[in-house]
Amino acid sequence: MTKKLLSQTSRVYLVFAGLLLIGVAPIFYFVTEKLYLDDADEALILRKNEFLKDHADKLKQSEIPTWNEFNRDIKIFPPRPLTGDVLIYTYYYDSLDAELEPYRELNSPVLIEGNLYTFAARINLVESEDLIMSIALLFFLIFTLLLLGLYLITRRLSQRIWKPFYQTLEQIEKFEINKPGKPIFIETRTEEFVRLNHSIERLIDRNTSIYQNQKEFIENAAHELQTPLAVFQAKIDTLIQSPDVTHEQAEILVSLNESVARLNRLNKNLLLLSKIEKNSFADQTQVSLNGIIEKNLGFFSEQARARNLKVELDFAEILTVNSNPSLVEILVSNLFLNAIRHNIPNGQITIRISRRALIFSNTGEDKALNPEAIFNRFTKSNPAEKGNGLGLAIVKKIAGLNHWKIQYEFSMNLHIFSLLIPEF
Amino acid sequence: MKILLIEDEHSLAQSIQNYLTGNDFVCEWVFDKENALDRIIAHEYDCILLDLMLPDGDGFEVLKELKRLEKTEGVIIISAKENLETRIEGFQLGADDFLTKPFHLPELMVRIQALIRRKNFSGSNLVNFHEIEIDLLAKTVKVHAEIIDLTKKETDLLLYLIGNKNRVLSKSAIAEHLSGDMADMLDNHDFVYAHAKNLKHKLKVAGAGDYIKTVYGLGYKWQND
Repeated sequence: MTKKLLSQTSRVYLVFAGLLLIGVAPIFYFVTEKLYLDDADEALILRKNEFLKDHADKLKQSEIPTWNEFNRDIKIFPPRPLTGDVLIYTYYYDSLDAELEPYRELNSPVLIEGNLYTFAARINLVESEDLIMSIALLFFLIFTLLLLGLYLITRRLSQRIWKPFYQTLEQIEKFEINKPGKPIFIETRTEEFVRLNHSIERLIDRNTSIYQNQKEFIENAAHELQTPLAVFQAKIDTLIQSPDVTHEQAEILVSLNESVARLNRLNKNLLLLSKIEKNSFADQTQVSLNGIIEKNLGFFSEQARARNLKVELDFAEILTVNSNPSLVEILVSNLFLNAIRHNIPNGQITIRISRRALIFSNTGEDKALNPEAIFNRFTKSNPAEKGNGLGLAIVKKIAGLNHWKIQYEFSMNLHIFSLLIPEF
Repeated sequence: MKILLIEDEHSLAQSIQNYLTGNDFVCEWVFDKENALDRIIAHEYDCILLDLMLPDGDGFEVLKELKRLEKTEGVIIISAKENLETRIEGFQLGADDFLTKPFHLPELMVRIQALIRRKNFSGSNLVNFHEIEIDLLAKTVKVHAEIIDLTKKETDLLLYLIGNKNRVLSKSAIAEHLSGDMADMLDNHDFVYAHAKNLKHKLKVAGAGDYIKTVYGLGYKWQND
């Protein structure tokens, strides 16, 4: 499963932020609490010092109950076994709230009128708990907001920063080497993307030119072959005129003649393929497949009769396509010829036209062909065949050009080629 | 009949010259544009065979020069360069026919004959051989002045054979001629046999001479015995 670049970076940020929050929050809580306690302790010591300075020498033993009655948080108790200041946690019952409340208490020995007493000052920690809770909450809130902001900003920023990348990606996805039109990359100031666009442009230019060269090479080679082929053909035509050709020589000449015809056909098909690739058949009109088959039926029936094949037409509909008439004719002829060529003596060919399909089914060798390979160039089921291995490749090329589908299946001992024309 | 062949491929030119010379034709050959232009200015021809790729220029320039001189010679372009644009350009510049290399010599022969017939057309268009008469306009064949019933292919075959009389025509040359535009698709020439057999039979029944000879496995020959 693939994930978008943006969601991956965002996820890392979020995980980091979450871990940070979980890790830092308790530390923050304890530190705050410690600070508050230190503060409370200091305040208690201060109160003691104030008491020692201002009250200890003036206070009489008889006034202690009164002092205790009117002072809520500083009290004088009978002496406890103490040697110095002792700070403790303790709980006192709050009669108003009817609950125990936590206190910090300082116990310290004092002398009042020469007698030992215990000085006790206390600070209610309920407020400190509230404070710490508030601080922690606030801290959490700020942290969350910070994270959210960070996430949103990264998202926005990433989307903006990565925009040229996505545009480049879209351009490359649309690019096809055998179609005209080069990708146009949008100007960007990000160095990495400038480099990326540059490299892709170079790559495309190089490959396009290699592809063009290759295409031109095939075309030029086929063209160049035509002259020697013409000489070859003319010499054979001349040679068969000589009056003293023996029977054996005649056989050689016949086979030479067949070979030159085959070479010629192969060459013409190569030329045709490169012409299709060069988009030389761009103009389109409405073409009826029924019409094309009927037009060439004479020629193909003649070919079929020479092999004693029965041709049957089953036109349920009239199938009209918008395409180049020459190419449609070549496609249909190649399918027809294929059905004749790969047939068995006294075999049969059925051509069916339905609403969106043209189907050739024919008898033939009693085994299925490889449906993947038969449409490739120079694939032959039988090396002894006279075909040049380009017929079905041309069919596929033309079908592809028109966004039609060509498929092969072997069923009930019939080889079936279906041309499927999708509805628009 | 005088024919000018403009072709830079020597061995092809030689074969064409050899084949054409004899059947009432005289074939002169030049191999470049300059020599071609010299000949055109100084002589009259019945037909010019023009290759498009010449060592010193484009064959189209020869066509332009012919037009400028207001010459009426028929021109057949013989070229390896085959696409719609070159064809259209050739016809627009005044060419009469276009034959793509490679071709069969008998095919070139009948194309020249057809062109000359069209050029010299004077009301009727008849091809005669002894007792046989072919009317190209009415598309009828008569033997001893009696119309015989031939299919279109058989008539084509008859014309092809007579046009190349005393020459051996290979089965593939005949097959390609009879198939017209579909010739490139052909990979089986067996159907020629049926047409030749039928034509031979029909001519024989009508009382014509037995001119069609079978030459081993090679093909057929129209022979005047």
